[in-house]
Amino acid sequence: MNGKDDFKIIGKPIPRHDAWEKAFGLTTYAADFSLPDMLHGKVLRSKYPSAKILSIDTTKAKRLKGVQAVLTAKDVPRNESVTRFGQTHTVGGGFEGLYRVLADNKVHFLGEAVALVAADTEEIALKALDLIKVEYEPIPGVFDPIEAMNPNAPQVQEGRSNIITHYEVVRGDVEKGFSEADVVVENTYRVQFVDHAYMEPESGVAWIDENGVITIRVSTQVIEHFRGIADVLNLPHNRVRVIGTYVGGGFGGKEDITVEAFLALLTYKTGRPVKLTYTREESILSHSKRHPYVMEYKTGAKKDGRLIALKARLVSDAGAYVYLSPWVLLYSMVDAPGPYRIPHVRVDGYTVLTNNTFTSANRGFGAPQVCFAYESQMDELARRLQMDPAEIRKINYLEKGEALATGQVLNHLVALKETTDQVLQVLGEKPLSKGKIRIGRGIASGMTSYGRMIFLHDTSRSHVSIEMDGSVTIRTGVQDIGGGQASSLCQIASEVLGVPLDHIKIYIADTALTPFAGTTTATRQLYMSGNATLIAAQEVRKTLIQKAARMMDLDPERLNLVDREVVDQGGSGKNLPLTEVIKACASDGLPLYHVALFKAPFRTLTQFERIEGDVFPDFTFGTHGVVVAVDEETGKVQVLKIVSCFDVGRAINRLSVEGQIEGGAIYGMGYALTEEVILKEGITLTPSFSEYLLPTSMDLPELETLLIESGDGVGPFGSKGVGEPSVCSVAPAIANAIYDAVGIRINELPLTPERILKALRKEENDENPLSRHR
Amino acid sequence: MEYYRPQHLKRVLQLLGGGKGKAKLIAGGTNVIPDLRGKTIQPDALIDLSHLKSLSYIKEGNKSIRLGALTTIAQMASSKVIKNYAPILSEAAQQLGNPLVRNRATIGGNLSDASPAADTAPPLLALDARIITENATNNKKAIPIDQFFKGPNQTVLKRDEMIKEIIVPKWTSPHIKTAYIKLGLRNSMSISVISMALWIDVEEMFCKQIRIGLGAVAPTPIRALKTEEMVTGKEITPDLIEACGSELKKEVRPITDIRASAEYRREMASVLFKRLIERVTFEQRE
Amino acid sequence: MSKTKLYPLKININGVWKKAKVAPEESLLKVLREKLGHTEVKEGCGKGDCGACAVLLNGKPVNACLTLALQADQQKVVTVKGIGTPDRPHPLQESFVKRGAIQCGFCTAGMLVSAKNLLDENPNPSRDEIKKAISGNLCRCTGYKKIIEAIEEAAQKIRQTIYDKR
Repeated sequence: MNGKDDFKIIGKPIPRHDAWEKAFGLTTYAADFSLPDMLHGKVLRSKYPSAKILSIDTTKAKRLKGVQAVLTAKDVPRNESVTRFGQTHTVGGGFEGLYRVLADNKVHFLGEAVALVAADTEEIALKALDLIKVEYEPIPGVFDPIEAMNPNAPQVQEGRSNIITHYEVVRGDVEKGFSEADVVVENTYRVQFVDHAYMEPESGVAWIDENGVITIRVSTQVIEHFRGIADVLNLPHNRVRVIGTYVGGGFGGKEDITVEAFLALLTYKTGRPVKLTYTREESILSHSKRHPYVMEYKTGAKKDGRLIALKARLVSDAGAYVYLSPWVLLYSMVDAPGPYRIPHVRVDGYTVLTNNTFTSANRGFGAPQVCFAYESQMDELARRLQMDPAEIRKINYLEKGEALATGQVLNHLVALKETTDQVLQVLGEKPLSKGKIRIGRGIASGMTSYGRMIFLHDTSRSHVSIEMDGSVTIRTGVQDIGGGQASSLCQIASEVLGVPLDHIKIYIADTALTPFAGTTTATRQLYMSGNATLIAAQEVRKTLIQKAARMMDLDPERLNLVDREVVDQGGSGKNLPLTEVIKACASDGLPLYHVALFKAPFRTLTQFERIEGDVFPDFTFGTHGVVVAVDEETGKVQVLKIVSCFDVGRAINRLSVEGQIEGGAIYGMGYALTEEVILKEGITLTPSFSEYLLPTSMDLPELETLLIESGDGVGPFGSKGVGEPSVCSVAPAIANAIYDAVGIRINELPLTPERILKALRKEENDENPLSRHR
Repeated sequence: MEYYRPQHLKRVLQLLGGGKGKAKLIAGGTNVIPDLRGKTIQPDALIDLSHLKSLSYIKEGNKSIRLGALTTIAQMASSKVIKNYAPILSEAAQQLGNPLVRNRATIGGNLSDASPAADTAPPLLALDARIITENATNNKKAIPIDQFFKGPNQTVLKRDEMIKEIIVPKWTSPHIKTAYIKLGLRNSMSISVISMALWIDVEEMFCKQIRIGLGAVAPTPIRALKTEEMVTGKEITPDLIEACGSELKKEVRPITDIRASAEYRREMASVLFKRLIERVTFEQRE
Repeated sequence: MSKTKLYPLKININGVWKKAKVAPEESLLKVLREKLGHTEVKEGCGKGDCGACAVLLNGKPVNACLTLALQADQQKVVTVKGIGTPDRPHPLQESFVKRGAIQCGFCTAGMLVSAKNLLDENPNPSRDEIKKAISGNLCRCTGYKKIIEAIEEAAQKIRQTIYDKR
């Protein structure tokens, strides 16, 4: 429609409409909302990671004045169902797991919900929790995924193997490949549990509206859980309505049901509005975590640096419930070889139940884990072959038209050489080391999909209408989790309809009133709902242009919509105010709205063991470069600089894109250095932000963000997604920089001072027992 | 729960002494409020000290500087007097918690809470500070800081007793040097993995006197007395520093927790000592 | 369990005196949000580890969750709404929006409070001073860079205004 230079709104660093309200403290987040006569909900959580529930006595709690409901598993109309995560297409093959609202005869992880209370005040609700007597009988649990794979290990969920899923990816003949390799690098990598640590804890308010509809206003990435919530209550789906608030951070942690089912039950049983907000401790204890992985990697290359074979075995810790674990593992399977040309590949992956906190989506969704492994391997190969780390990568990067190990052909530009060159240029010369502070540089590249797996048959809808005065309304079920999801859609409509941004109003995230737009996950909203909004706006534009062409007696091809006017670009100098065209359309009964349905490519999976063929719509590629300072005596790492370069296709909003990439860099830095939910025998040792350590402003390195705009993405105007890709290659880049600084490789995250020091000491002892006194 | 907001110290002490049931003093509240919220303390009354303006001061005397117990960490961090006469205390104050916490937390509270990792303790130990307390019968005591801590979150303070002020002696010798290092896992909002403060009287590499204060390596903040003894009256040589490092590793009694292992803390005790000594003797060798 | 006694509280919030009855152990945060309607002050952790609830208490930024409501009796509290309004925005609010310093926005109210105090005391802060001033406020979305740039821009604007007045 437009050449790049013709864009008026797209690509500009435009302030987001929601930012103004947030700056003035006017945004009503989930916990900021209250209703008259509202009750306060609380959740009783298990004190053991693995125990039988012998009995639950709620009599005393129920007798406490001000308590309106005390619910246990037996009060839940349908306590067990199948998780669906908002999708409308049943995949089968073990993808959907058990969703249990309240523990019944057994608790499977520390913090599992056992009972619910609603009371007149929060204080009374808390007292009631103390009065509920639960008799537990602790039973042996299993806390290590490798141990849990043993057939004799304690069974986490009755009647099923701890091994949820096994996948394989096979290309060529991996043993033949290794026999041809000149150098083989073999390592085992381990990564940790991570919390999403959004600033806003889980929260919502539920009530029954005047039509008897259970209405839940909640901080969520997925309003379409309304179906699952209705199933819990055994109600028709149209009797539950979910309204999504502006979310105080999601990162995948508000992708699964959090407070919704509890709220629905409490309001259904009491008939009164109920608010439920988790404390931070409760949030860390009980919501999903990023999967820890154990990753055995064996990579072979020829003397000239060409990769020839890769064998990997991935084991992920699913925790006590399945949730999204099979899906996350599948992402890892596709990404495991990295964005490299490898003729012989074999990847085996397992996801395994344990009595740890359950794991599910977290920004990157299985991609950062394997990226840490494959990018560490690349640097190890470079070292063994005495090659430059960038050179060995460039020899092996996949290019457009080539296929992944799964067979999926990359139909769009793979800009890895470009991103790496740009990163190296900006990274500059390595500063000199001083004394005990050693400086190192490292790079890592990554591939991350955007859009959901195509066998989920993903769709999104958007409704765009133009009012009599020329103002525009967008209605779409998009959840805005802070990435500018809503405002990007306004920009798209503004560009297409030639209407200034402040004349556009968007209504989002209401299952009763906005067309379904799917989940705000999988870096999919710009791609999916951006395209839906683009189509809807283009349809409205077509109606307007065609009518105007008749009114002006001109060829519609010559007309454009610019700043609320229909303009003849053919040089006649004629133009027409948009409002006149709108009036004429209205008089003719022409539709001044369009609801568009955008479909991702669909494919149905026929077998689940071996992953073959297309899995994702497309990928985003990029490279991180970092400079670190390592204190040789304390092991402490200070990241001095992170340079990020991504092919974003097209930056719809430059500010938002940079914001995602900068935020992703620091999210990745936390993953690399300080963040870990430490579980010991299933007990969380890091229940607050004084133990779970997010980077602070004083840990911030210099950040440089470079964008390549190839225009070759599948999103609107050729854009690609960056929300998740921006995280992936930070940790390996830091690990590689640490190697460059002090010559040690740590295969386990986080890269704590203690781990680094231990490795330094070990190397000194191995190589030269006297080197400590050099 | 009862709440009292006395305007005068006398009234505070009366309340502490006359109390039936448990009363808890609250100053900045940065420790007490989380404890109340987590129900780790359940007092019958809160005695709010935040209006005792008379105990919020930094005064310079001839031989010492005096800090009122209710002086905030932020006041200490920005005080010229403390920067001049107790620079290591100034540094520790600047690195305690974060700016929001520093605006509320007080020196009296930080010491009374008696965390093994209490940030103000190591510099005060190195500076040989005294803690002036007063009780319900107006009995005043001057407690040397190295006798103040008894265990994790335990001090020698009796139930009817509170910290009134902290006295930090000035030094007159131009040969006295001090240095401080806090090792944490991030650069703000960090609980120290280990912290160390050094006060040394050193001339041409000869150490007349030394005091080493340590945090997070024992059940309480401690002095490293054995190590101090090794250096006192000696010429500081690389071998002596090495030997002191080894002695420190034995002298500290750290635990393993989520932040670090005991072994790491031991190692770091030795590393930090070397760094501090190098820092203070740098000028001497120039 | 003994019944909790309630005490009268009178507090000046954003220039308006307000009253409430509060329990001794109730935090300023809880009372602001639940009894006085100031939900613009956010709860991120409830124990001083995140800074989302920062307010100015007599001009100094503090965690409202680490202050008893009764400790703020007769005192002046300023929340993000007291810093500026849509009609009269503070330069910080404008620069936060225009420089992309706001994503999910949950840390913004506290972040602005810390930044306001910094610029009140020092209209010409260095980058390190800015980093230090907001080092009690966690942000999970932005990676801090755009927040720091926004504070620099607002500082410049404020200095210009001071210069113009002279």
